[in-house]
Amino acid sequence: MLSRIADSLFWLNRYIERSDILLRLVYVHYILSLDKSENGNNNWRLVLELGTGIWSDQLEAIENNTPLVMKKILIDPGNSNSIKAIVMKARENARGAQDHITKEVWESVNQMYHQVNQPALTSKLRTDQAIKVVEGLARSCVMFAGVTDNTMSRGLGWNFMQLGKFIERCLQTIAITNKQLEKNGFGEDANDILQWRYLLFSLSGYELHLKTYRSHDHIGNVLHQVILNESFTRSVIYSLIRIDHYLENIRIIHEDQDKSLPRVFGRMFSKVRYLDLQTMNPNSTQAFLNEIRLDLLSFGNQLGQYYFSYS
Amino acid sequence: MQFFYQPIMMLEALLNQYNSSGATWDEMHDGETIREQYNKIFSILNNLDVNSLQQKEKIANELFMNQGITFTVYSDDTGIERIFPFDIIPRVITSKEWETIASGIQQRLKALNLFLKDIYSQQNILKDKIIPAELIASCPHYIRDAYGINVIHDIYIHVSGVDLIRSDAGEFFVLEDNLRTPSGVSYMLENREVTKRVFPDLFASNHVRKINHYPLLLHDILLSLAPGHISTPTAVLLTPGVFNSAYYEHSFLARQMGIPLVEGRDLVIDNHKVYMKTTGGLEEVHVIYRRVDDEFLDPLVFRQDSILGIAGLMSVYKKGNVAIVNAVGTGVADDKAVYSYVPEMIRYYLNEEPIISNVPTYQLANEEVRQYVFNNIENLVIKQTNQSGGYGMIMGNKISEKDWIEAKKKIAAEARNYIAQPIINLSTVPCFIDGTFQPRHVDLRPYALYGPNGIQIVPGGLTRVALKEGSLVVNSSQGGGSKDTWIIDDYLNDQDAE
Repeated sequence: MLSRIADSLFWLNRYIERSDILLRLVYVHYILSLDKSENGNNNWRLVLELGTGIWSDQLEAIENNTPLVMKKILIDPGNSNSIKAIVMKARENARGAQDHITKEVWESVNQMYHQVNQPALTSKLRTDQAIKVVEGLARSCVMFAGVTDNTMSRGLGWNFMQLGKFIERCLQTIAITNKQLEKNGFGEDANDILQWRYLLFSLSGYELHLKTYRSHDHIGNVLHQVILNESFTRSVIYSLIRIDHYLENIRIIHEDQDKSLPRVFGRMFSKVRYLDLQTMNPNSTQAFLNEIRLDLLSFGNQLGQYYFSYS
Repeated sequence: MQFFYQPIMMLEALLNQYNSSGATWDEMHDGETIREQYNKIFSILNNLDVNSLQQKEKIANELFMNQGITFTVYSDDTGIERIFPFDIIPRVITSKEWETIASGIQQRLKALNLFLKDIYSQQNILKDKIIPAELIASCPHYIRDAYGINVIHDIYIHVSGVDLIRSDAGEFFVLEDNLRTPSGVSYMLENREVTKRVFPDLFASNHVRKINHYPLLLHDILLSLAPGHISTPTAVLLTPGVFNSAYYEHSFLARQMGIPLVEGRDLVIDNHKVYMKTTGGLEEVHVIYRRVDDEFLDPLVFRQDSILGIAGLMSVYKKGNVAIVNAVGTGVADDKAVYSYVPEMIRYYLNEEPIISNVPTYQLANEEVRQYVFNNIENLVIKQTNQSGGYGMIMGNKISEKDWIEAKKKIAAEARNYIAQPIINLSTVPCFIDGTFQPRHVDLRPYALYGPNGIQIVPGGLTRVALKEGSLVVNSSQGGGSKDTWIIDDYLNDQDAE
């Protein structure tokens, strides 16, 4: 497979995964922002910090203004990480690799492109149609995942796509969890499950949580779920297990004897696999997650140099 | 609503709406009745009302949009995606008409291919003074670096599209040969797929010849060109990249043939061989179906600022280690000034009379001819010899006095670069526009494939439509659209059988 194509497929899935998580986050916050809580209305600060690169003084100006936030996150040309920008980049990558994805996969990316480019979008986002737009786009992301799974052959391309997807997913789970740790603080309130619901909803893990965890150590339970629960599809460890699998597949297809890349990955993987949560407090968890994030970014760079260097 | 269930009313309504002008050849209506080849289409359309036809039109447009069969229009720094306008009523050509077209194109390509072989080796046609040597010497598409190169099977023009038009009497003429990197074949194939989706019942009753084997034929030809005796040669399609207006077609063809779609930066030359950079290291490439023009192919030989090509490609080509499709240098044969000599080539190389005629062409380099053209400009169209896509065309009956004075100076200064042809009223076909049937002018570009087993032309082609009322310019860059083109087998016999 051409290095350029592998690169494009990798990034295609990274971008779609990123928009999927971001849309889920927006959807959850939109619904929850309607709930009055003891601490007053929930504002959009967390989502804005995660989804845009804007400064804190600008945050204050818009964090309570839902229509403005929606515009900022979904379509604002000043936001290089807007859903529109992400989807357009995803499509650009899909276009470059069009002969390596199935017609169905291409059509599902292309459809998302038309969704974010529809002329009526700006006006819809100002009204209560906004949530419908978010819902529609989120559904398209799920469709993309399903169509990809059902139609793509399990060759190199598929493995690079999946690598992109799970690296992005792992990074996003870490980012959202760290933000939530930062927001909830470590005081008495921090053990209130209501505080953690946002995180679990955003990662679609609330139902699993209720079914799995019975004790009242909410922080411990939530951190266990998002970091170490192997059956939770958005946990850090689940993503790493999948990355390990696809990396191995790629090496088998190439009959690659070189061990440099698996070594880098294995070191990071072990850190998570043999983590003892009992000895961790929220503070050290945050530091640990940061360390894993940096490891993963560096692994991503080395992966790029190893397989994608073509220009 | 009762109205919609009365087919006879609908037929009359449709017929009354359709006004073909008597001066041009209308392919559906001969002035009094509907030509027989359109009968079946009409009898099915009769059972439809305008709303459902509009609904079908909407579905067709959505299909094109969702598949990304679009081109990008740039304004205010943001690209807007547009679909290439598509008219849902198919154009019908009878098998008898098709036989003439196919044999005419085959004859023409055979001669043009012999011409290319000759012009890049012995140059007998110049020595025998059939074509003036200065015409070739001054042609920007004559590639000196291609002189003396042995191409595999002596085939230069593997892929071509010959533009045909019909005169007032219904006779076909060749307007232009496209022998470099003709585009539009993906539209021919996609138009057919979309028509199948919106009019499945029409296909059942008409015997429409199939065209969807085009990519397979092309793939076979590409593999047959691999140098040496390689059991599993690697062929690639070289594209300028995603920003090229024909990128959709490049990816479409690569996918249909199952070959890698590469850009110049994916390829590298090492030890007189071409390789592509893959995740598993370098892999040798044997055949390149390039959709990049000659001048961008190799920055060491042609344009130094080209980033679309591969440095050193020409030297590998000369050594015979890679096949390039079409061969380098075919542009000299589709130069608009060389075009007028094609009938001579047919006589010279094949000793035959041309089956399809050229449109009469005036070479403006000759001063007497130029004066004649200047005096009779209202009946003529002037074209630049090295331009395509309808750019730089002067329609003599439309140009203003002021522009014409300017244009005359320019033409006199560079007369070699201009030709003139009489304005021909292209034939018309019915199009579904704003809820009515209206005649619009069309041309036809069948696609021919030239391989070791001879020339094959898939029965059909791209019909381009000038969508503006009365317009004769069909180019997509100038407001043209397209139609599905049907070659139907003996409709008369079929009727007899029923």
